[in-house]
Amino acid sequence: MGLKREWKNSVATLLGAFALYLPNGVLEPSIPAENPLTAEKVALGKKLYFDKRLSADGTVSCASCHDPLHGFSDGKAVATGIRGQAGARNSPTVLYAGFSEVQFWDGRAPTLEEQAKQPLINPVEMGQPSHDAVVKAVASIADYPPLFQKAFGSPEVTIDRIVQAIASFERTLAPFSSPFDRFLAGDKNALSDAAKRGFQLFQGKARCVTCHEFNRSFPYFTDNKFHNIGVAMKGNFEQLAREAQAIQARGDKEAESTLAHKPGIEALGRWIVTREPKDIGAFKTPGLRNVALTAPYMHDGSLKTLEEVMDFYNRGGEPNPNLDGGMRPLNLTKEEIADIIEFMKSLTDESGGKNFDWEELKELSRKTRAGELVAAPAP
Amino acid sequence: MAKYVLPMERKKQEYLAERERFFAELPKLSRRDFFKTAAKAAAVATAFWKGFPPHSFQLIRVAEAKESQPKFTFAYISDTHILDKGLNHRFVKACQKAVDDVNALDPQPDFVLFGGDLAQLGKPEELSLGKQLLDQLKAPVRMMVGEHDWYLDLGEKWREMFGEPTYSFDHKGVHFIVLNSVIVEDYWTEPKMTPMERMLAMAQLDNPNGRPFMVGEEQREWLKKDLAKVDKKTPIVIFSHSPLYKYYRPWNFWTEDAEEVHKILAPFETVTVIHAHTHQVLTHRLRNITFHGVLSTAWPWPYAPQGIPELTVQMVRADPFNQFDGCGWGSVNMRPDGQADKHYVLWDRNPMTVTFDHVRRGKQGMAELAKPLQGRVDWPSY
Amino acid sequence: MMMRPVGFLGLISAAICAVVFALRVGAKQPVKHELPPAPDGKSKVVGLCDGQTSVVVPGVAAGERMSPEQARGVADELMRKYEENKVLAHGGAAHTEREMRVWEAELKRTIDEGYKLFHSPELGTNGISCDMCHPDASNTHPETYPKFQTQLKRIALLRDMINWCIENPMEGPRLSDDDEKMKALEAYIISTRKGVPLAPGKH
Repeated sequence: MGLKREWKNSVATLLGAFALYLPNGVLEPSIPAENPLTAEKVALGKKLYFDKRLSADGTVSCASCHDPLHGFSDGKAVATGIRGQAGARNSPTVLYAGFSEVQFWDGRAPTLEEQAKQPLINPVEMGQPSHDAVVKAVASIADYPPLFQKAFGSPEVTIDRIVQAIASFERTLAPFSSPFDRFLAGDKNALSDAAKRGFQLFQGKARCVTCHEFNRSFPYFTDNKFHNIGVAMKGNFEQLAREAQAIQARGDKEAESTLAHKPGIEALGRWIVTREPKDIGAFKTPGLRNVALTAPYMHDGSLKTLEEVMDFYNRGGEPNPNLDGGMRPLNLTKEEIADIIEFMKSLTDESGGKNFDWEELKELSRKTRAGELVAAPAP
Repeated sequence: MAKYVLPMERKKQEYLAERERFFAELPKLSRRDFFKTAAKAAAVATAFWKGFPPHSFQLIRVAEAKESQPKFTFAYISDTHILDKGLNHRFVKACQKAVDDVNALDPQPDFVLFGGDLAQLGKPEELSLGKQLLDQLKAPVRMMVGEHDWYLDLGEKWREMFGEPTYSFDHKGVHFIVLNSVIVEDYWTEPKMTPMERMLAMAQLDNPNGRPFMVGEEQREWLKKDLAKVDKKTPIVIFSHSPLYKYYRPWNFWTEDAEEVHKILAPFETVTVIHAHTHQVLTHRLRNITFHGVLSTAWPWPYAPQGIPELTVQMVRADPFNQFDGCGWGSVNMRPDGQADKHYVLWDRNPMTVTFDHVRRGKQGMAELAKPLQGRVDWPSY
Repeated sequence: MMMRPVGFLGLISAAICAVVFALRVGAKQPVKHELPPAPDGKSKVVGLCDGQTSVVVPGVAAGERMSPEQARGVADELMRKYEENKVLAHGGAAHTEREMRVWEAELKRTIDEGYKLFHSPELGTNGISCDMCHPDASNTHPETYPKFQTQLKRIALLRDMINWCIENPMEGPRLSDDDEKMKALEAYIISTRKGVPLAPGKH
């Protein structure tokens, strides 16, 4: 805690600029030039993130599906939106999302800002009829205009400001406080022998690093690319592809924005964005930090445990005509699989580290869920 | 804990289990039994793909140039290089993948050309395993021979299984000719090479002591005779394993008597050569003749350091990690005017169609074909 | 019989020690380098610290300052002349024909062994050999290592990629870095790119 206070003091001297802590040798994340990270925007973003009033019926906030109590995911196979509607895809964790090159399982948003815009108006998520409706809702809450004043220099509420603040808050959700981080920093005892063996297997026989790229400059275990490993091979593929093409041909923008959430269409993955045959059934490689907290797994939450995930890969994925050619049976033994899972568990952060207070956010989540709070108190 | 299995999933698992059993049975079967099994497997595959049509939208064109309505289509699978190393070998799986893809085409192609190099070292076990794989194809298969099939026993087994390697046939107004263009002069008798030594020498692409491929005088004479009865306006399509032109001699991407063959073909208005052996996207045009290379299912060759025909839009270097990258199969749409639009199904990449309109407009046409590819940012850098 | 060469070597080492000592002493009390006069009597003459080598700088008078370009040119010329005159590595003797033939034959043996391994399925278990994808070692680009190898997701040397190919497409056991086979493979692959400029990190 002493360290944290020191660090907070140093931030105060930086005139609002938020100094994101990064371990030695880790590359800075790309932050849009028009949205520099400031403590005021982070504070505003935190309040918005937990505020259910952003949704059409006041029941869903960002934190509903990206919950600090569940590793910033929701523990469900697919997301639940307003009126209990089920979405099409598994909620990914927000931890370290600021380091992703692209957002969403199909990579359709280039930044956290663009990402944040979509669930607000998705009928099966937060369900607002338009971004204007969101702006109106936020502007009508007396707490907010002064916070916008602090963060942006004027009390005006716009959709761009809303998502800039939320994105700023999300960029701070990077703890770097796992045993593996201590191991990287030089503490050779931070990992158990099993986890160390697992790390070797991860980089070798198990071929995980092929897609879950690891290096010290970018230690998030993803290549930010899209691969068909066969998870999506359910339902009638061709029919969905044609439907998607038809919507695109009609130029129906509204249909297009909700397209990714139509039942079944999720199987097309990256293809929905690129319309390129090579991308049929391909999904973004998710990062693996805190993976032990974010079950169930895969874009559709179809695998319940890390053991199931390992079995899936061990048999070479699901055969299908577009299967990535790098997939093949791994012949891992039970012991080897256990070691790899031990390694993955070492990627679990133990606190919010130097960038945020995880316990505080958990408390906020509990209270807003229990109805004790509608949003975080004004900072 | 029992895992819940979706109905479609279950259907697929049944299919895969059936296919596994089918493969397990293969080595034990007599010829006749094999045909029975193959038919059964084809039926299973069809049933499966009704639920999971796999590649019909792989045929989305990347090319901007217009393709005319085809008169008919044939597919090709080529250079499978089957090794006698069990059914889990990657080359066997790749061949099976191509067979599955072609079988899933709807409508089915009129026939499937097999472009040669079915086997890696010409062994009877390799050839018969290859045949068993190809026998699953629903469409009729036209066989061509490659040097990897030929030089262990100088074609004895291949002939026994597939008949004469040189033949012609007419299909919907097009005259097709299949050549054995992997003939080389005898350089094995004098140093008393064993059959396997000869085979290995021929199998080494960069063999500095190799001899150039040729069609040879005997076949050229046959070709003249065969063409004598064909009208000069009839479209001609020639299947040749070697390129039937001179590309790069050190790797035998080469046909020594190409000019003499071209001379025989000169009077014909519309000639297309579909050749194998080079395992890469290749396009060439010499006067009345258009040349198209085909893909291998097993591995892509690099482009040679020189001699690449200038019409060729090169495929990006393959990612060695991805067994399928740079590999695949393809099809040819025969247009009403007898010219061919050539389609490459590159696994794990986007397909590529080299239409006759691209070729006809020369470098400009090919540049247009390359344009959508050049703007891509996700091209691999290895 | 054994004493004689030892005694001889002893003599040589003594001589080397003496030279080193002399040089050290020289460092404390600089040996006066007697520079030869310029042919024209006025140009600048610059001497090397060996006390022997010197060059004349035409167009620059004695005592005048040289431009940085001129100074660099002079330094290069001094070193060139020094290299030309020095007789250190071989005790004054040129390489003998025997030596050169041995070197060539040994290098060829290693390269040939590499060629053989490269063109044979023996490194793997599934009948696949290196030359099947890399005829004449094409597309192996040894001059680009070390680099971030996208398949391995880390910085790799040529040998790492050789091992990757052995383990993956060829499904064989990896070679240790000091395995003679690894050396031979590297020797063959690198020999095919003789004269190509080094480009570490190139993609």
